[in-house]
Amino acid sequence: MSTSDSVSTPDPVRSANSAPSPDLVLALLADARLPVGAHTQSAGFEPAAVHGGLTPAQVPAFVAGRLASVVTVEAGTAVVARHRSLTADGLSGAGLAEVEDAWAARTPSQALRQASRTLGRGYLRLAQRLWPGEARLAALPRAPARPVVLGVVAALAGLDAPRLVRLCGHEDVATVGAAVLKLAPGDPADTVAWTLAAHPAIEALVARTAGLTDPEEIPAAAAPLVEHQSLLHARTPRRLFHA
Amino acid sequence: MPDDRLPENRLPDDRLPDAPAPTRSFRLGVAGPVGTGKSSLIAMLCRELAASLRLGVITNDIYTDEDARFLRSAGVLDAERIRAVETGACPHTAIRDDITANLLAVEDLEADFAPLDVVLVESGGDNLTATFSPALVDAQLFVLDVAGGGDVARKGGPGIARADLLVLNKTDLAPHVGVDVELMLADAGRAREGRPVVALSRLDRASVEELTAWVRATLAEFRAGRHEPQDPGPMAPHSHADGTTHAHDEAHPHDEAHDEAAHAPLLTSHPSS
Repeated sequence: MSTSDSVSTPDPVRSANSAPSPDLVLALLADARLPVGAHTQSAGFEPAAVHGGLTPAQVPAFVAGRLASVVTVEAGTAVVARHRSLTADGLSGAGLAEVEDAWAARTPSQALRQASRTLGRGYLRLAQRLWPGEARLAALPRAPARPVVLGVVAALAGLDAPRLVRLCGHEDVATVGAAVLKLAPGDPADTVAWTLAAHPAIEALVARTAGLTDPEEIPAAAAPLVEHQSLLHARTPRRLFHA
Repeated sequence: MPDDRLPENRLPDDRLPDAPAPTRSFRLGVAGPVGTGKSSLIAMLCRELAASLRLGVITNDIYTDEDARFLRSAGVLDAERIRAVETGACPHTAIRDDITANLLAVEDLEADFAPLDVVLVESGGDNLTATFSPALVDAQLFVLDVAGGGDVARKGGPGIARADLLVLNKTDLAPHVGVDVELMLADAGRAREGRPVVALSRLDRASVEELTAWVRATLAEFRAGRHEPQDPGPMAPHSHADGTTHAHDEAHPHDEAHDEAAHAPLLTSHPSS
């Protein structure tokens, strides 16, 4: 980056007088303004609307289905990546590669893996500015899956596992809502209501995944329709969102 | 990771390979409203410069990769050197506030075709207010066309007033759309306070050479370390109606006694303590 070379980034650890507030870290990472390129994503809504005829009225059920399947894989992966980052496994990269393999085995759509790794690069780029020289980031591949780098960021920022799962759940639901407003706009308050209504399902997700520590424990919750639509979408001209 | 894990059913490894350390190119943005000829101008630059400079192109589209496909089909550059960034219906965001996707694409091109001399970044056609972040491009040109209306240059705006170069495109159409190019140039000159303007027509060889000469000269300045990326946006130094000049990002140029704290730099270098 040309101008950023002259702008130094304060060390988030040294500049904080005490440990960072987990609630503020959660708010920071859940903020749609976080510069990671997430505005290019629709969390499967555009593929489902274009190839499955999904209507805005069906979004609450769609969101519930995602939380039970792809988001479960996402959250479980992030939690295990966080756990490994807090142990010696996170420093070598091998421990996290195992987590990424477990995620990839549970994400059969090449389009979904690619979308996640595109986002993962954005998170990694941001994290490298926030924690320069951090070994756990340097150990990651060039394009890590989003939940893997998110788990590492959670470990670095002091975000606990339940909040990390809430982040994954909230982000997915909020991304769907934002995409609906671009593709089939209605009252934007409806999308906020969907997000709020998803909270019990997100808390259930916390109960299922926050305690995971081993890659083999990551749930393998298939979502064949989501995966199929993602593959169709990758070949669809005139799409608004990447995935 | 050792290959003896998952021996039979291993998923195809679709991870990105580790990239070599990229070399930094001169990154030139091309902004301007829809239909003013940004893609054609980039095709022209490729045609004119590809023999002497190593080029890459990033396009930003509202829809998928239309502009990248246009440029690939124009045959002015190897197809692999033209990449599309999807902007998720936010072309403005992708070049200005959250430039992540574009930076990654530029860095990939620089790594894959190292060394590149120039990477051209085309903005998704947005509106008169959309300009590039100086963190994404080193210099930017803003493209208007005479068919969009002779009074557009007079209306001003960040790109028109303060892009490194303003291009008034399709001047050959002026007689057909009733636009006085000289008047439009004069309006642009006033809005730009002396910054350069090129009146361009693909049919006018001298104007094409004027454009390429500007690109070569700016590249030379960049390589000599004399070119600083400027943000044309609303916080750029600009004049007020009372004739005073006002800079938001540096100490006030006129008033020694001015309270500097009130004009604290927006982007300050933190003391490296």
